[in-house]
Amino acid sequence: MSFVEIVRFAVRALLANRLRSLLTMLGIVIGIAAVILLTALGNGAAQYIQSQISGLGANSITVLARAPGGTAGAAAGASSRPLTSGDAAALADPQGAPDVGYVAPVVQASLTVAAGANSETDTVIGSTPEYFPGSNTVVASGRAYDDADVSAGRPVAVIGRTVADDLFGAGSVPLGQTVLVKGVPLQVIGVLQAKGQGGGFANPDSNVLAPITTVQSSFTGFGNLTQIVVGARSSATQDAAESEIYSILDRRHGITDPNDRDYQLISSAQLAQVLDQTLSTFSLLLAGIAAISLLVGGIGITNIMLVSVTERTREIGIRKALGAPPSAILGQFLVESTILSVLAGLIGVGLGVAGTFIPLPNGFRAIVVPAAVVVAVVVSIVIGVFFGGYPARRAARLRPIEALRRE
Amino acid sequence: MTVRDVGRRDVPVLDVRSMSKVYGAGDTAVHALREVDLLVRRGEYVAVIGQSGSGKSTLLNILGCLDAPSAGNYYLEGLDVADLDERQLSVLRNRQIGFVFQSFNLIPRTTAFANVELPLVYAGVSRRVRRERTLAALDVVGLAGRANHRPNELSGGQQQRVAVARALVTAPALLLADEPTGNLDSASTEDVLDLLDGLHAAGRTIVLITHDDEVAARADRVVTVTDGRLTETSGLRR
Repeated sequence: MSFVEIVRFAVRALLANRLRSLLTMLGIVIGIAAVILLTALGNGAAQYIQSQISGLGANSITVLARAPGGTAGAAAGASSRPLTSGDAAALADPQGAPDVGYVAPVVQASLTVAAGANSETDTVIGSTPEYFPGSNTVVASGRAYDDADVSAGRPVAVIGRTVADDLFGAGSVPLGQTVLVKGVPLQVIGVLQAKGQGGGFANPDSNVLAPITTVQSSFTGFGNLTQIVVGARSSATQDAAESEIYSILDRRHGITDPNDRDYQLISSAQLAQVLDQTLSTFSLLLAGIAAISLLVGGIGITNIMLVSVTERTREIGIRKALGAPPSAILGQFLVESTILSVLAGLIGVGLGVAGTFIPLPNGFRAIVVPAAVVVAVVVSIVIGVFFGGYPARRAARLRPIEALRRE
Repeated sequence: MTVRDVGRRDVPVLDVRSMSKVYGAGDTAVHALREVDLLVRRGEYVAVIGQSGSGKSTLLNILGCLDAPSAGNYYLEGLDVADLDERQLSVLRNRQIGFVFQSFNLIPRTTAFANVELPLVYAGVSRRVRRERTLAALDVVGLAGRANHRPNELSGGQQQRVAVARALVTAPALLLADEPTGNLDSASTEDVLDLLDGLHAAGRTIVLITHDDEVAARADRVVTVTDGRLTETSGLRR
C-alpha cells in the first residue's frame, strides 16, 4: 500500500468527519493565534513606549520641587523651599555647572483659552526658548518665541496642534490670530508639530507656550517656578550635569541629607529605565497568558484526538479484518493528525498575523514576534501529531477481534 | 507472500486439528472450544449452527485469523497460521479471507464503492484494476447503480450486499459469514442467501455461522457446535 493511498484515506476520513476535524483544528488555531497576538501586543507596546520616551527630549533633566522625605509634605512644609528664578540662574552659571548646556525655568498654569466662540481649558507654559529643545518640542509652522520676546514680555504664544484644531478648526494654521488666555489677548506666532499622547503624561498637543515673562506678569506672578528644565551639553555629560545640579541646589537649599531633598530630578534616561522594567513585566504577563492558551489548546487537541481514535476503534477493527497491516493503520492516523495540525497551524498563523493589523487607538500597533510564531507552530504540531499518533499506535496493535468488539 | 497454490487442488482450504480456545485462567476459565477438528475442502458450503454462547463465533474468529487459538493447529490453504506474525496475518486476511459480519461493518460516511475497494487498496492493486474489480463485485451483488451511496443511504439488505461484494472483491479462498442475515428482514435474507448460493455455484468456498436452521439448510454440510464441541450433522466428514 503506497503512501499516496494512505494520504488519500486520511483526507477522505477527515472530509467524512468535517465537524470533528474542524473542532480539532479550532483548538490549535486559537492557541496559535492567541500566542502570536499576545506577544505581538507586548512587543508593540514596548516599541511604542520606547518611541514615546525618546520624544521626551534627549539629555534633558527636569528639576521639580517636592516635599522633603518624599511623603508627609504638609508636616515638613516648613523646611521645603520652592524652586526660584535664583535657582535657575545659579544652574545657568557656567562656572558652577560647566556641563549644563542650557537652563529653561518653567511656570505653568491651567487656564481658559478662547478664540471667537470657542474656548477650552489648556495648560499654559511659560518658559525661555531653551524649553523647545529641552522638551523635544518642534514648531511646525510659524516660529518659536525668542529671547527678545522673553525680555520684552511680548504677548505672543505658540499653540499645540489640538489647541489650533479646537479653537480655529481642524488642520488650521491661525498664525497672526489672537487667542484670549484668561481674557488676555496673545498673538499666535507658531503652531507645534503634533506629538501624540506621550507615555501617560499630559498631552503636549494641548499646551499653549508663551514667554515666561508674559505668563508671570499676566497670570502666575513673579513667584516660584513650577520646574526647571536643564539640558546637559551632551548625553556623555548627563551624569556630570546631574551631580552639578545636585551640589548647586543642595547648597542653595541648605540640604545636608541627600535622602531629604526638597526637590527631585527626573531625566529621560531614568524614565526609560523605569518604563523598561514595567514593560518587561507586562510582556512576561502576556507571554504567560499566551502559554496558558497554547496549553489549553493542546489539551483540547489531545482530548479530541483520543476521543476520535477511541470512537473509531471499531473502524480500525474492520480495516484490520480486511487486511490492513498495522503500518497502514498507524500511517493513516499519523497523516490525519499531521494534516489537521499543519493546516490548523497555518490558519492560526494567518489569523494571528491578520489580527495584528487591527487598528488600535493612538497609533499604537501590535508587532509580530517571529520567534513566538515558530514556537507556537512547532508546539501545536508536536502536540497534534503526538497525541493523534499515540492512541492510533495503541489501536494499530489491538487484536482485530478486540477492536471489532468495541461499539 | 504466495500461499496460494492453484495446482494443489487436493489441499483443503481449512484444516483445523484438535483446536481449543480458553478465555481467562484458573477457576474462571471459560472453554469456548474443546479440541475441535474441522476440514473444509475447496468449493464446499458449510454451515455452522449452535446456540448463542456455544462457541461458534469464537470458531469463526479463529478461522478468520482475527483471534488466535489457545491450543491445536489451524492450516489455511496448507499454511500453519501460528507461524505468522501480525503483518503476515494481515496479508493472509487480505488475500485469502472475505468477511461478512452480522452488523455489516461498513466504514461509516464512506461510499459503497470506497468500502468495496478497500481490501484492494490494502492489497496494493493499481487504481485502474481496482476500479474494474470493484465495479464488477458491485455488479455481482446487483448494486452497481449504488456505488456512490453511503451506508446510511442504503437499506440493511443493500448494506449487507455491499459487505458481500467487499468480501469477494479480492477473490479470497474462503468466504466467512457470521450470521449474515441476523439483522435482516425476510426479503433481504432471501436476497443475501440467494447471493451466497450463486457464489457457491460459482465454486466459492463458504463457511457460514447461523442459529437459524432454515439458513443452514442452504449449505451442503451442517456442523453443530455444542458447549465448544463440534458434531457433524449432515454431509461428509473426514
